[in-house]
Amino acid sequence: MCAVLIIACMYEKDGEEIFVIDGHVHMWDARKENIIHEGGEQFLQCFYDYHTGFTPEEEQWDIDEYRHYGPDKMAEDLFGNAAADMAIFQPTYLDDFYDEGFNTTEQNAELAEKYPERFVLNGSFDPRDGEEGLRYLEHLKEEYDIPGVKLYTAEWRGESKGWRLDSDDAFQFLEKCADLGIKNINAHKGPTIRPLNRDAFDVEDVDDAASSFPELNFIVNHVGLPRLDDFCWIAAQEPNVYGGLAVASAMSTHRERKFGEIMGELLFWLGEDRLLFGSDYALWNPDWLVDQVMNAELTQEQKDEYGVELDVDTMKKIMGENAAELYDIDIEEKKRQFRDDPVSERFDLENHYGSEVGAAAD
Amino acid sequence: MSESITDPMDDTSTGPADSQDQTVAVRDRLDRVEDPELARSIVELDYIDTIQVDGGQVEVRFTLPTAWCSPAFAWMMATDARDEVEALDWVNNARIELCDHMHGEEITTGVNARDSFGETFPDADGDVAAVRAAIADKARVSRQREAIQVLLDAGVNPEQIVSLERSGIDIVGDEAHVELDGLSVVVDAAPVADYIDRVTTSGHVTADDDTLFLTPEGDPIPADQLDVVQKRSRLATVNMGGQGAVCDALHRARHGPDGPDGSGSSPFAESEFDQSAYDGNVDEFTSTWTLSTDD
Repeated sequence: MCAVLIIACMYEKDGEEIFVIDGHVHMWDARKENIIHEGGEQFLQCFYDYHTGFTPEEEQWDIDEYRHYGPDKMAEDLFGNAAADMAIFQPTYLDDFYDEGFNTTEQNAELAEKYPERFVLNGSFDPRDGEEGLRYLEHLKEEYDIPGVKLYTAEWRGESKGWRLDSDDAFQFLEKCADLGIKNINAHKGPTIRPLNRDAFDVEDVDDAASSFPELNFIVNHVGLPRLDDFCWIAAQEPNVYGGLAVASAMSTHRERKFGEIMGELLFWLGEDRLLFGSDYALWNPDWLVDQVMNAELTQEQKDEYGVELDVDTMKKIMGENAAELYDIDIEEKKRQFRDDPVSERFDLENHYGSEVGAAAD
Repeated sequence: MSESITDPMDDTSTGPADSQDQTVAVRDRLDRVEDPELARSIVELDYIDTIQVDGGQVEVRFTLPTAWCSPAFAWMMATDARDEVEALDWVNNARIELCDHMHGEEITTGVNARDSFGETFPDADGDVAAVRAAIADKARVSRQREAIQVLLDAGVNPEQIVSLERSGIDIVGDEAHVELDGLSVVVDAAPVADYIDRVTTSGHVTADDDTLFLTPEGDPIPADQLDVVQKRSRLATVNMGGQGAVCDALHRARHGPDGPDGSGSSPFAESEFDQSAYDGNVDEFTSTWTLSTDD
């Protein structure tokens, strides 16, 4: 193993290497010509506020770059300085707002298929699509062999103001996922897409779905914020419920104490085996975020209060091992593969992956 | 903080003659309006852009941290602001304007026309009462922890705490007197009074013999579960604090580091951490943001 050789491969914390799987990335298109509803512009502006609100000033992008960055920049941001070793695409369709969709499976596939060994490509479903939706899910499985889906229960569509994971329609789709071997169900339970009253703070539909489908894993993105309390309480009782740390991770910028509190609660209620790091790229860039999260520490007071630690073993799990477990990724095998894969060749990363000739990591 | 535009012309109302006093009076009423998600005052959170007083006519403009803030929450704040300002006897009419929000126009129009939420948003699933109740419930759970903690600190044991009834506590000035089998324990009234206030308003505790402390689900607490309930209350507090941090970051991203009024005052810095349920040791809490804006 690489650490034995004491060379600077990948990230290290306390001398141990950490394999990073960024559990939540997007390749979106919010160029003006793709926006067909004012909600699309507001949505992007809101994303941009999240970006600037939790990004160190010197790392902030300008709005035009933020609208559309394309596959080349994305690959460079993720892998250029080996910030992440792998990444998981989480599509967000938003067809009512964006002509070609905001960030669809097909759009993400452009990059995922260029570097298939580096990406996990999730699909999506919407139970309101009925039979056609089931066929689309089958198509995604066949075309891309998707191991998971990303779901937006609060997305408006026509007359509908969202849907619930515990509805009969949703169960039909979850059944189909189970049949097809699509086992990772990523539910967006955070800031809502077009919320009126419904779903304003509802994470409870995950409960019934998770207990009804024990063979599936339910990853609640954004750990339910602003419903962290409901989320933790449900997750404490449902062993197949996981927390996706997108947004929460970014709170390590300027809000270290809050980040520590949230991590303390999550580690207390869920434990270290059910939390997955995610940058939510391009909301935030793993380029700097990974390092920042890796260096985050709990205060002594927080350690005493929660009785947990953000030590190297915990970090290894959160930053990569837990995602590897869910997506059947063999980390050691990946490291061997990455010694000479196209990404390593493109960014001169060969030495980061266990070659005995140790170049400095940075 | 906010700009005050007042009419120097005759004021025939019976309230404060001085326009500055009127603005202060309006602000004091607005200070009672909470962001329901954070259980914090909208004045303290720096949401108020302007207060304009013209005789008995008051206009309040406010902006939320994000255009995507739930319309149901925005609606609650707008209607509460209107009702609080109109509770001043010299105010004939309060006009509320929600700025820079995805549903700003609808909410502004609806609130000032005295329409209901359902009339303003016919495509919404229902009215805001249920949302309001659910949100108030989170604040109840969060605040319970502090109230119980002062009792634990004063030596009241878990069995006694879980069996306390409403009539068992008397608020006398800044002291809360807890009656325990003929013994009376005195603790700081503030956290207890605040808690009682919330459970009374929410309807959880109304009669003298109602159990005072409850699980998040609203049931009496088994004594051996008090610790878990306290941890769930801590979680509710951390959730609100986390959401507060998100709102503050978005607020700043929208308005720049100086805030909407250019004062540079932080809506959160002075008080963000005093609600933390850790141990009340506020001095140890540091805000990176506060440090970064000091330079």
